[in-house]
Amino acid sequence: MEHLTHERLAALVDEPSTADERTHLATCEHCAAELEGFREQSAALGALPELLPPQGDWKVLEARLRSEGLINDPGVFQRLGLARTPAWMKAAAAVLLFLGGTGTGAVMARPAASDGAGLMADRIVTVEDAASAVRAAEQQYVSAVTEYRQLLAADGGEGVDVDPISRFAALEHLVRVSQAAVRQAPGDPFLNGFLASAMAERDAALRMVSSGQDNWF
Amino acid sequence: MSQPTERALIRLAADGDARAVRALYDRYAPRVYAVVRRIAGDDDLAQDYAQEAWIRAIRALPTFRGDSRFSTWLHRIAVNAALQALRKTETRRKREGPRPVDVPIAPAHRDSLLQKRLERALDGLPEGMRRVLILHDVEGYTHEEIGDVLGVTAGTSKSQLFKARSKMRALLADLDGAVQEPGAEAWSI
Repeated sequence: MEHLTHERLAALVDEPSTADERTHLATCEHCAAELEGFREQSAALGALPELLPPQGDWKVLEARLRSEGLINDPGVFQRLGLARTPAWMKAAAAVLLFLGGTGTGAVMARPAASDGAGLMADRIVTVEDAASAVRAAEQQYVSAVTEYRQLLAADGGEGVDVDPISRFAALEHLVRVSQAAVRQAPGDPFLNGFLASAMAERDAALRMVSSGQDNWF
Repeated sequence: MSQPTERALIRLAADGDARAVRALYDRYAPRVYAVVRRIAGDDDLAQDYAQEAWIRAIRALPTFRGDSRFSTWLHRIAVNAALQALRKTETRRKREGPRPVDVPIAPAHRDSLLQKRLERALDGLPEGMRRVLILHDVEGYTHEEIGDVLGVTAGTSKSQLFKARSKMRALLADLDGAVQEPGAEAWSI
């Protein structure tokens, strides 16, 4: 019998051989060695490792995903862990945020009035009074959100599932942007309220990072 | 520290959560890139194809029902994306003229001579042969699965595979005849 062709030997890696082929392979060192070579080749191909993509690949992909709207930064509700809560609860939280924000903003926008006792105070007369009112508003806001989370957890809702360090960094960014916006429009109650809310949330996030709680990954 | 389950990651990623998408990318990018790179036979094309595969996968995430493993689902998307992109590239090349002959392989992650030579020989195969050889011998597809993906019969897939193995062996022999790097181990296949 003549030597087996290369294609036939390549086939015999995973195809059954005929009786004649088996007889030939038992006596022909050349064909037996070639067949063994093909087997080793297929085994080596099957053992090829995974390959790391080029550096910077994620950044390019992230930009594309973002431009196509396939990924986004977490919204306010997601940041607060409310992304998968019922609509009425979101609406309630939205009202809370709105009142907290506009109330705080209104206080800050008022030229002079209060004793600094809180959001509803109407006798702010100095800058210190205003700052005190803002701090009180922040505390109220943080307390409200904390209570909300506790109620949500007690109600069987899902916990806050976020990476505190990333969240803090994002909030810090938000605060800086809000500060810049307030510098542009110092008397805008909404912007002031938003800044106060962002600062309060950032501080809460910082406390969470400091206490090492709730690491996401 | 709690790790989110893959299911949770997929759900978050389907909602557009950037960190969940990143986590899935970190977990599966080497597998996706490997199959796409080998099908493409070219580093630059591979990056484009891999990006396209990820875009498709993230876009299709809301339709993932968990009937198969996520890795299997993603792998199939990557293969299809690469094959489709390759067809477009080939069509364009035919219009524009022949491709450059010498396409270097990025050496960063090819840490063995054996692997380097296999990758180089794979890149040297004609497109049709390379696709079948990669899908069968590297990725473990059956001839029926290859037939589904490539739109050919199982018999055609077999025929192409045997030719590809034979051609691959010849290419490896040619590489053996090339100048050996100092201190390089001998190629034994």
